[in-house]
Amino acid sequence: MHFDPAVLVDYWPLLLQGAWLTLQVSVAALVMGYVAGIAVALIALVPGWLPGLVTGCYVETLRNIPFIIILFVVYYGLPFCGIRLPATLVGTTALALFASAYYAEIVRAAILALPRGQFESARAIGMSPMSAMWHVVAPQILRALVPPSTNMTLTMMKESSVLSSITVPELTYQSLVVQGNTFAPFEVFAAVASIYWLIAVVIAEASRRLERRVGAVQAEAVSRNRIADRYLSLVARRT
Amino acid sequence: MGFKLNYLLSILPRLIGAAAVNIRLAVIIMLFALALGTALTIVRSLKIVAVNACIAVVISFVRGTPLLIQIFIAYYVLPAVGLDLSPEVAGVSAIAFNSMVFVSESMRGGLATIDAGQIEASTALGLPPHAIWLKVVLPQLFRRIVPVLINEATIVVKGTALLSVITVVDVLRTAQQIASASYRPFETMIGSALVFLVINLVISLSGRVAESRFAAARV
Repeated sequence: MHFDPAVLVDYWPLLLQGAWLTLQVSVAALVMGYVAGIAVALIALVPGWLPGLVTGCYVETLRNIPFIIILFVVYYGLPFCGIRLPATLVGTTALALFASAYYAEIVRAAILALPRGQFESARAIGMSPMSAMWHVVAPQILRALVPPSTNMTLTMMKESSVLSSITVPELTYQSLVVQGNTFAPFEVFAAVASIYWLIAVVIAEASRRLERRVGAVQAEAVSRNRIADRYLSLVARRT
Repeated sequence: MGFKLNYLLSILPRLIGAAAVNIRLAVIIMLFALALGTALTIVRSLKIVAVNACIAVVISFVRGTPLLIQIFIAYYVLPAVGLDLSPEVAGVSAIAFNSMVFVSESMRGGLATIDAGQIEASTALGLPPHAIWLKVVLPQLFRRIVPVLINEATIVVKGTALLSVITVVDVLRTAQQIASASYRPFETMIGSALVFLVINLVISLSGRVAESRFAAARV
């Protein structure tokens, strides 16, 4: 067993094409999924039992079924209803559908976490409805949204690898093509895993900056207790 | 071509039979993930700088790459280094490794919520480290992360569906086999979706029962 990155020389363009499609699909699913998620969250907050029941079923169904099954249901379901789309579009739709359930929960939680009466208090001290929304309510909701949304977007980007099973030529699909041509699994999957990893690290870092800007700082709880830290902390620091 | 409910009902028994494979693999994976995750947490608590730095890289790798790619690595790469595993074993190792990292990360969060005074008291009483872990820290830690573990169990069940890609004959692969014979893929996929939905709802509900039990036990 030897590691020889040279076998990949001819295949880098293919892998990078795949990575580019993975990014495009993820961004498209992020936008579509978030819009749908906000809609579902707003419906869930409508008073009465029916909206809550309907959105609850929507969210629980999508969250309890593996994404690969959701993908196949959409893949076979659209032609069943007479709609024929290219695989990439079908995959993006399925990914957006899957993500929308999680985004809906994130948005709902962020709205519910808002302390009561923030808007009314802002109005009471003489702010206009617009500026109360913009300066008081929106920043607080945004702050609660960014960290979980990033997490979910990372999960979704990783789940997009499943689209390879309906022949969407994204990164994982291309990796299987290259693996079939080179029979060098170690090199191929090391390269592909690194590309995914790089994308994930970049998204995580971008989100950390955004968090700092919107003020969603959740500092790691550092206790100053050295005895307790022997058991309760997993952070190794050079002393 | 309308939706054939009778056909869906007729294939459900075969899908439920195949679900036994997913459930069995998921149970094995969870047991490994729990044991290895706990071990990993204890190793991390020793705070050996070089070891923790390596573990941090592994954690970042596992969290930053798709589970499907990790399964492919176990399936295609391990045989190349001389470890010839059956698809089932390769798949179980990949998901268990992935889940181990998530268990250890949730334990890290749980540890932060344990009262520092308890450790001081145990240390003052002269309890040896293994006793502090086994009698003081871990029992409380497990109770605290029950909700996270239940959630992880549903994620593991969902992960086992990916094993169909590496030829494990689970619910999804059985469904594909049925569909290729009957030419009714849509109903068949709805059937397998229902099977997973029921398994995971049962896990979530029993988790909620377990949680309230544990909550009562803590008082």
